[in-house]
Amino acid sequence: MTDLYVSHQSPTRMSVGSRQAGSATTSKIRLEGSAKETLEQGRNRLVVAGVLFAFCFVVLAGRLIGLALTGVGSEVEDVAEDVAPKAAPIIHNVRAPIYDRAGNILAVTLDTVSLHANPKKVIDPVEAAQKLSTVLKDLDVKAVERKLRLKRNFVWIERHLTPSQQKAINNLGIPGVYFRKEERRVYPMGVLAAHLVGYTDIDNRGIAGAEKYFNEQLAGGSDRHAEALHLSVDLRVQYALRDELSRYMSIFQAIGASGMVMDVRSGEILGMVSLPDFDPNRPSDFPNDSKFNKATLGVYEMGSTFKTFTTAMALELKTVSLRNGYDATKPIRIAGFRIRDDHPKKRWLSVPEIYMYSSNIGTAKMADDVGPKRHRAFLERLGLLRRPNIELPEVGAPILPPRWNTLETMTISFGHGLSVSPLQLSAATSAIVNGGIYRNPTILKRDAPEEVQGRRVISEETSSVIRRLMRLVVEKGTGKQAAAKGYLVGGKTGTAEKAVNGRYKRDALVTSFVSAFPMDDPKYVVLAMLDEPKGNASTHGFRSAGWTTAPIISRLISRIGPILGVKPVDEDSDKVRKRMFIPTYSREKKLATF
Amino acid sequence: MRWNLTVIIGVLVVVVSYGLYQLSYEVQQLNSDLRSIRSEIKENKQAVQILKAEWAYRNRPDYLKDLTAKYLPLLLVAPYQVASLQELPEREIDPSIKSLVGVPLPRRKPRLQIPSPVTLPSSGLQLATYRAGDGGSER
Repeated sequence: MTDLYVSHQSPTRMSVGSRQAGSATTSKIRLEGSAKETLEQGRNRLVVAGVLFAFCFVVLAGRLIGLALTGVGSEVEDVAEDVAPKAAPIIHNVRAPIYDRAGNILAVTLDTVSLHANPKKVIDPVEAAQKLSTVLKDLDVKAVERKLRLKRNFVWIERHLTPSQQKAINNLGIPGVYFRKEERRVYPMGVLAAHLVGYTDIDNRGIAGAEKYFNEQLAGGSDRHAEALHLSVDLRVQYALRDELSRYMSIFQAIGASGMVMDVRSGEILGMVSLPDFDPNRPSDFPNDSKFNKATLGVYEMGSTFKTFTTAMALELKTVSLRNGYDATKPIRIAGFRIRDDHPKKRWLSVPEIYMYSSNIGTAKMADDVGPKRHRAFLERLGLLRRPNIELPEVGAPILPPRWNTLETMTISFGHGLSVSPLQLSAATSAIVNGGIYRNPTILKRDAPEEVQGRRVISEETSSVIRRLMRLVVEKGTGKQAAAKGYLVGGKTGTAEKAVNGRYKRDALVTSFVSAFPMDDPKYVVLAMLDEPKGNASTHGFRSAGWTTAPIISRLISRIGPILGVKPVDEDSDKVRKRMFIPTYSREKKLATF
Repeated sequence: MRWNLTVIIGVLVVVVSYGLYQLSYEVQQLNSDLRSIRSEIKENKQAVQILKAEWAYRNRPDYLKDLTAKYLPLLLVAPYQVASLQELPEREIDPSIKSLVGVPLPRRKPRLQIPSPVTLPSSGLQLATYRAGDGGSER
């Protein structure tokens, strides 16, 4: 290139010079020979280069226009994304909330700030600890000082600060102390549904109740989203239940109480309370026995409430009819035990009377006629002999007798010798009253009002008879105090002595009352239980279920009836009386009253 | 001609590059706006969560019960207070209204009514006075 340039340099110059020289005559200069060829060649080369460059610029311009029209540089990123190894999609999950059936928040995750320190960067641990304690009043200064002297890079000082505390600590300006964003589980309802909802540990892992059972769903994972949980519990019912139970627990100085409200048609649990309870916002402040869920984990000998099942069984298997009865004059002596009545009538009792006056003798004889094998099979079908299925981790298995012979059949017939949880008792009772279909209890809200599948336990007719018998108990029998005007309450009392170290303790009772309402078409089963109630002046010193737990049912149903939309009826009207009528076939000698 | 072309191209380059830079700045501005709006949305979502929790906390049944006991004269619903819509007696309709089938019309044509100004007496206003034991019967 260079030598070429040089080679035609001189002719050109020469020609220019000649042009200037001859400018007066002519403007055109003709070059001849090798000079002309060289010049042409040069021009051609220039054109070729120019065209090449022009082409490049056109390409660039075209690219610019294209980029401007389609989007700024996104193609480059796309290419980069295609080339780079794909990282697994990480879904950042915040632990999902838990709602009650109306959508009220039972548990929610909130963002908070925690305080931590890097001891290696803290200049003066003593001063830092002192300063921090001015903001965080309940901080142990010595412990913090010790922490700040550790040869580590990371120590927690305080978890979950309030925003005002954060600001105050930030203003202290201590070097080596940092904040970290964290999430905290908050339970706005506090103690209200504590056993049902459960609680989480400080790292937001569920460790009790629904929080534990549904931990994976609530927490989500790297490949799935956290899903909110809708429980079947109704906060208003739950509150009424807890309120009444705690009131009567203090009236009768009981050491514990539990209760349950259950929808008989869907098996949904609308309320479940176990007292004493705890605040899931600060579970560590409460003793362990307050975290024990008496309603599902605790198993108790339920006493006379089992007579419902015995009577239903005898009527269903037709070993006895309503007209028949048994002699309850003398206590039964069997295998060194004595079965006697708490409310002795000392005469022949018909089946309705046995149920109504809660006769142990009559019920034991009734069960004896059925026999141990069929008795066991019947209770098995009612779900009383195995661990119930419910969406909670704390579920107690029933305690069965080691053998099941005549003696066991007799005692279990009135609720001694077999320990079950209040949950099992409620589920079995709803099966008896709802027309005879057992449905699994659940704490989850059922979406559609569709018929829930269940298994038939007893016939419609037997269920109807038992309903009227339960109504009879409240109308005339041992459970008169459970009556709630207008709601046609029916139920059965249950008083059992507590078994302590293999012996029954006469002074420690578990009183329960299992009821359903309205009895002409039962919608809800309500159970209340008191642990070791003591009699007082208002009960004339009695502590049996009819005196201590029946009033809870009465007050509770009056409260929750309107909430649950149960329409009150006139209990004294002929129509209702006719529907609830059941003959007692009593052979009691009527004394003429003159 | 050649000069003109050069000038036109030069002006074009200036205009286009100005426009491009302007566009680029605008895009950067919008991007930063988007970022700040996104962080604001996140903050607001967190605030909404906290407020929802607060709302739930303020609506605890025991707290509401204390408030109703304090401010409202409410008692437990008695059975006689509950009735269904079917139980309500049917309301007797006035026969004069019954005869009018169709949409009820206002009796007069609605129009803006301006009250005529009250003329004050020339002697000024006489304020009402009460005598003792009068009982206000003179008003």
